[in-house]
Amino acid sequence: MSNKVCTLQEAVAKYVEDGDSISFGGFTTNKKPMAAVREILRQGKKDFVAWAGPAGSDWDMLIGEDRVKAYINCYTADSGVTNVSRRFRKKIEAGELIYEDYSQDAIMYMLHASSLGLPFLPVRFMIGSGLVDEWGISKEVRQTIDKLTDDKFVYMDNPFNPGEKVVCLPVPKLDTAIIHVQKASPDGTCILMGDEFHDIDIAVAARKVIVTCEELVSNDVIRRDPQATKLPCFVVNAVCEVPYGAYPTQCYGYYDYDNSFLKAYGAASKTEEDFKAFLKEYVYDVKDQAEFLEKIGVNRLLKLKVSDGYGYATDISKED
Amino acid sequence: MADYTKYTNKEMQAITLAKCITNDNIAIVGTGLPLIGASVAKRLFAPKCNLIVESGLMDCSPIEVPRSVGDLRFMAHCGCQWPNIRFIGFETNDWLHDNERVVAFIGGAQIDPYGNVNSTCIGDYHAPKTRFTGSGGANAIATFNNTIIMIQHEKRRFMQKIDYVTSPGWIDGPGGREKLGLPGNRGPQAVVTDRGILKFDEKTKRMYLAGYYETSSPEDVIENTGFDIDVSRAVKLDAPDPEVIRMIREEIDPGQAFIQVPKD
Repeated sequence: MSNKVCTLQEAVAKYVEDGDSISFGGFTTNKKPMAAVREILRQGKKDFVAWAGPAGSDWDMLIGEDRVKAYINCYTADSGVTNVSRRFRKKIEAGELIYEDYSQDAIMYMLHASSLGLPFLPVRFMIGSGLVDEWGISKEVRQTIDKLTDDKFVYMDNPFNPGEKVVCLPVPKLDTAIIHVQKASPDGTCILMGDEFHDIDIAVAARKVIVTCEELVSNDVIRRDPQATKLPCFVVNAVCEVPYGAYPTQCYGYYDYDNSFLKAYGAASKTEEDFKAFLKEYVYDVKDQAEFLEKIGVNRLLKLKVSDGYGYATDISKED
Repeated sequence: MADYTKYTNKEMQAITLAKCITNDNIAIVGTGLPLIGASVAKRLFAPKCNLIVESGLMDCSPIEVPRSVGDLRFMAHCGCQWPNIRFIGFETNDWLHDNERVVAFIGGAQIDPYGNVNSTCIGDYHAPKTRFTGSGGANAIATFNNTIIMIQHEKRRFMQKIDYVTSPGWIDGPGGREKLGLPGNRGPQAVVTDRGILKFDEKTKRMYLAGYYETSSPEDVIENTGFDIDVSRAVKLDAPDPEVIRMIREEIDPGQAFIQVPKD
């Protein structure tokens, strides 16, 4: 068994490469690998083909910093905090982002199909909508991006039910997946708690997998309950112990989202100037996650601690 | 002493949404008003209904108001935690098995007379004046399920032709869905706004005003709808019971995450 433990800086330097086709785990404001996103920003990595899934400020920051070559979208907002992520919105309105839209269902199925190794994927979604009528990225532009197929989708007659039109979706070839998990061991075995979202799919599908974890536990301890482990060691390339690695988003069993931080980002990201200042303060002028957490402060982090049996931070001190 | 006899249009909208859910429904809810409505239904009008969300959490009964469909507040005490792909499979299979039990709530920025909804952009898709989040789970939800659409009632939103169809409704009328290859026996059932509830004519599949609030009127609805709207079948909806208003303010959304309580 090889030891995959390294710092987040080392993992991003080695396994995130310019031009990668990349996907992050989590769901808008839940279990996003935010510490890894900040490290990617600091290291200047760019030209990503982004399989964003249900995204929020994770991809919004990378879009705002022009790190994205092609953005495959289904939903981009810190749900419940912002109606739409502001850099995403501005870049599209300014004609400065190459983007494609699928429905969330399509993207989640495509990432799952990728984990299953399927050649393509027939679905019934998107028929009768702008999602098939409009191609965000034209065939000509697609032909210049080697990590995208030339076609957004292809209509096909269901071979088992002639006359039924189905939409065939391409299956993404992921270079890199980054997920945040509750526990991992040095060999790369992972315990995922709570909603798995598409985390397992992208980890199985991608060529390179970075795991950030709340807690590093021994190879022996993590095997005590194979029902809890969701990824075997050999799927993972790098294991980084990054407490609060999903902050300001939620991490089941550990902490709630920091609504005030998400709100502050939502407000700052409305203008280019405030966005740049926010990133300077919270990303570029900060060396690593430890320094970031120092800046956020222990009182703020303690308030986010989840209440047992609820899974989120709530005041149970007044219960009768 | 708080006065629960006074209520806002948003509260009325949430209650009208709540009444769209029956005891034998499985309701696909999002956040915001549909969730407030679903919470009212679950506590009062249809306590046996089951709530599900597109992230894959099944049979939810949140105590605190979740902000996102992936929120841990939805997960706490839910019946079963599925990944998103199982939710998609479930809604598709319920259609394939011809089950009529699912009702889904979706929102949007623009709507046309046939209940096609836009939540993607205002203006040209390639060079939009305003860009929104995109589909999320709404497209497949509108493809496979009966939907209740929630939207603010303004002329600029109720349009003869919308800029982009994110979630298909009845397309262009009778047979529109079948013609394109969409399930024809599913589609929009009602549109609930801050002025009233609109339904779709059995024959023409066009929207008509079915009910309006005390604070609204058929004339008011005509004025704020950007296409011809039949109001001949409209009835005035009863004012809500003060107890329901109390429940929304004190129990369901005490933090006023989605419904602001008037100051006086």
